[in-house]
Amino acid sequence: MNKAGIVSYGSYIPRYRIRIEEIAKIWDEDPNELRSQLQVASKSVLGPDEDVATMAVESARNAINRWKGDPQKIGAIYVGSESHPYAVKPTATIVAAAIDAEKELTAADLEFACKAGTAGMQMCLGLVKSNMISYGLAIGADDSQGRPRDPLEYTAGAGSSAFLIGTERVVAEIEGTYSVTSDMPDFWRREGAIFPSHGVRFTGKPAYFQHTVDASKGLLEELGTKPSDYDFATFHQPNTKFPLTVAKMLGFSSEQVEVSLICKDIGNAYSASSMLGLAQILNHANAGDKIFMTSYGSGAGSDAFSFEVTDEIEEVKTYPYNVDHYIQNSEFIDYGLYARYKGLLR
Amino acid sequence: MEPPKIWREKRERYLAIGIQCQDCKSKSFPKTSFCTKCSSSNITEYRLATSGKLLNFTKVTSTSKEMNSYAPFFVGIIELDDGIKVTGQIVDCKFEDLQDEMRVRMVFRVLARNGEEGLIRYGFKFTPE
Amino acid sequence: MSNHRVNIIGYGMTKFGEFYEENSSSLASKALMDSINNSVIEKNEIQAAFFGSFVSSSNSQSSIGVNCINECNMSIPVSRIEAGTASGAAAFHQAYLSLLSGLYDCVAVVGTEKLSDYVRNESIERILGATIDSHWEFEMGATLTSLYAILTKAHMKEFKTTLEQLASVPVKNHKNGVHNPNAQFRREISINRFLNAKRISDPIGRFDPATFCDGSSSVILASSDFIEKHTNLETTIPVLGAGQATDNLALHHRTSLTKLLATEYASKNAFKMADLTHSDINVAEVHDSFPIGEILAIEDIGFFAKGEGGKATENGETEINSNITINPGGGLKARGDPFGATGIAQIVEIVEQLSGRAKERQVDNKNYGLTQNVFGTGAMVYVNIFGESEVKR
Repeated sequence: MNKAGIVSYGSYIPRYRIRIEEIAKIWDEDPNELRSQLQVASKSVLGPDEDVATMAVESARNAINRWKGDPQKIGAIYVGSESHPYAVKPTATIVAAAIDAEKELTAADLEFACKAGTAGMQMCLGLVKSNMISYGLAIGADDSQGRPRDPLEYTAGAGSSAFLIGTERVVAEIEGTYSVTSDMPDFWRREGAIFPSHGVRFTGKPAYFQHTVDASKGLLEELGTKPSDYDFATFHQPNTKFPLTVAKMLGFSSEQVEVSLICKDIGNAYSASSMLGLAQILNHANAGDKIFMTSYGSGAGSDAFSFEVTDEIEEVKTYPYNVDHYIQNSEFIDYGLYARYKGLLR
Repeated sequence: MEPPKIWREKRERYLAIGIQCQDCKSKSFPKTSFCTKCSSSNITEYRLATSGKLLNFTKVTSTSKEMNSYAPFFVGIIELDDGIKVTGQIVDCKFEDLQDEMRVRMVFRVLARNGEEGLIRYGFKFTPE
Repeated sequence: MSNHRVNIIGYGMTKFGEFYEENSSSLASKALMDSINNSVIEKNEIQAAFFGSFVSSSNSQSSIGVNCINECNMSIPVSRIEAGTASGAAAFHQAYLSLLSGLYDCVAVVGTEKLSDYVRNESIERILGATIDSHWEFEMGATLTSLYAILTKAHMKEFKTTLEQLASVPVKNHKNGVHNPNAQFRREISINRFLNAKRISDPIGRFDPATFCDGSSSVILASSDFIEKHTNLETTIPVLGAGQATDNLALHHRTSLTKLLATEYASKNAFKMADLTHSDINVAEVHDSFPIGEILAIEDIGFFAKGEGGKATENGETEINSNITINPGGGLKARGDPFGATGIAQIVEIVEQLSGRAKERQVDNKNYGLTQNVFGTGAMVYVNIFGESEVKR
C-alpha cells in the first residue's frame, strides 16, 4: 500500500487585525504586561461578510488549487469548528458545493473546541487507509468569541486550515497518530450562548499541558522516536507562551517550534490553530524533514501526529496564497470597528 | 430569502458557473436554457475565469436590510480573463485603493443574511489580486 | 397614417409628497376624478381604465385599479400595468394601443404609488433593486443608485463631464419646480448644496437623486371619433408618436455605459411615427431620477450631441424658453417620484404646456412636446410625442 498522508493543504486568515494595546486601552489594562504574558501582538478579526463557512471554503480552495487535482475525487469532507454559522445545517455541505466536490461523498461538521480539525484529519486518514475513499478533506476553522473584558478577548482570533489526506503524491506521510481524551470542564459554551466560559487557570496545568504532554509522549513512545529526531514541532497555540512551555516540558527546543508560531500575529485561531502551525511548517520544510504536531481541544483531548516530508513538497511549496501571504496582507482596525465587525453593537 | 432560490442558484453563486454553447462556442453568465447568442439549447456548464480586471466601480452606502450591515462596501463591473463581465463587490481593500483596470480575483463571501434566524446567501465577490 | 386617432382630453393629479393619512386607492381616486372633471365628459363615458403602479401592494392590495374604480363608483374593465419606475408610461402605452385597436373610444390612465409606507435601509432598496438585474446586480451588492454612479463616472471619464455640469441639472429643475403647485419641493437649491454634499455612491451626492414619495396622476384618452362627437372639449392634445424599446437588464451586459440605447431606439420610433425630428420639439419631460439621467436623455433623444449634455445644461440651454425646455415641471427631482405616477405626471405637464395653461412656467413655443420615462437603468424606455392640437397638423 502507498504511503498515506497529506496530499495538499491550504490556509486562510482574514485581513483585519486588532492590536493588544487597542483592546487594553478600552479596559485600562497594562498592554506590556499582557504582551509579555501572552506573547501576542495582535489577533485576526473576521470581516463582516465572512464566517466559518467562507473561511473554510477559501482554505479548501487553496488546498485544491495547490494540489491541482480533481475535487470530484474527494470522498469525505469534515469541518471542525466551534463557531459553525448554522447550529443545524452543515458547513461541510457548503464547502463541498463551493469546491465542486458534490455529490458522491460523505461529510459532517465536527466540534471539539480547538481540536475538531485534527480529529477530522484522523477520520480522513482512517477512511483513506481502509480504502473507503481516495481523498478526504479535513478543515479546522474558527471565528472564536471572547466576552468583552474577558482575558480571551485579547487572543480569540480567526482562521482556517484545510488538509487533503490521501495516498497519491503525498507531500507528508503520516507516520502515526495518537490521542488522549478525558471529560474536563475547562472551557465551554452552552447551546445558544454567545460567549464561552472557562475555568481560568484550570485551563492550564490539568487541561492544556496534561493532555498535550500525554498525547505527545504516547506517540513518541509508540513510534520509538524522540524530540531530537524532529526538524519541526507545533502545538496548539492559545497564546505563544503555552506551545513554547509545553515544547520545553517534552524536550523540544524553541527553535523546533519557532517557525510555526503564528499566534503572535493572529492570536488563537482555535480549531485552525495547530493546523495553521503545521501548514506554516510545510511551507518551510524540505524532503526528509520530520514534523511533530499535537493539537489540544478543551473538554478535553489531544491528537498527536508524526509526519515525514516527501520530495512532492517541492511541487506544492511555492503556491502563493500561503500562511505568510495572509499574515502579511493585514489591516489594523480600532476597537470601534472591531466591535462592529464582531457584532458587539446591537 | 427563499430556500429553493438559494439552492437553485448555488452553482452560479458559489462557483460562478455559466454556460457554453456547444454549437457556436459562445460563453455567458448566468446560466440560461438557451445560448444567449445563437439560441441553441445545446449548452453545457462553463466555469468562469476566477480573476479579471475592474472596469467600473463605486461605493454603496445604503441598501436593503439583509445587506445593509456590510455597507459601506464597494461594487463594480469586472471583466474576467475569459471576457465575461459580471457585477460584484470588491472586498478587503480601501476605497482609495480601487483603480480602473486593477486586477482582482474571486473570493467566497456572505452576500446577505436573513436576520438572526434565516438563511445565509453565499456567493462570489472580488479582492485585489 | 393613423396619427390623430388618440388624443388627451383631460388630465389631473394629486400633489406629490408624503401623505401619511392617504392610501394608494384614495390617491388614485382623487387623480382619476380630477381628470374626469377636467375633461368635462361624463364619468360613464369612460369605457376602461389602465393603472400604472410599480408597488401596488403597498396597502396589501394587488391590482389597485379595482379599489379605485369601486371607490369612484364605476364599473369598467381595469388592468394594472407594471414596468417598475416606468409603470406610468407603460400603462399609458397600453391605453393608447386599446384606442388604436378600435376596441374603446375613451379610456382613463392612472399612475399611482404610495411609497411613504416604506422604510429606507430596509425595503425601499429591495423594491428599487427589482428595477435592475435583481439576481446578478442587486443581490451581488449593486443598488440602483450605485449603477447610476457607474453611468455618471463613465460619462465623466469619456466626455469630461464635471460635477458642476451634473449639479446644474437639479439646480435648474428645482428652479422650475418653484412654479409647479403639485411639486413636492418648491424651492430653489444652490449648486453648492449639491457639490458639498456627502457622496452616497461616488460621484453621486446625497441630494442628487430624486426622492420617492406618494402621488397619483391621470389622463383621459379619446379617439378622434369621440372628439368629433364632443364639441365642448377644452383639451384635445393628440398623441403623435409612441415609442418603446428594451435594452440589456444588467449594465455589465451593455455595449455602452455612456448612452441608454433604449432611449435612442424608443425616440427614433416615436419620431418616425410622428414624422418629426428632435429639432421640432419645444418642450420635454425626461427621467431625471439622477442628474446623469437627464444628461443621457437629452443626448440620446438627440437634442444635443453625445457628450454635450452636461455643458449644454450648465450653459442654460435647457432652461425654460431656451433652445429646448427640459423638465419645466421640475422633473422627478423637484416634483418627487411616486414611481407609477411619474410617467403620467410627465404627460400631464406636457399637456398643460401644449394647451398653454402652465402659468409661470409656460413655454412660449409650444408646437410639440415629448416625454421620456425610464425603467431602472434604462432596460425599458418609453418615449411619447404630443402636438399642440389636431388643427395644426
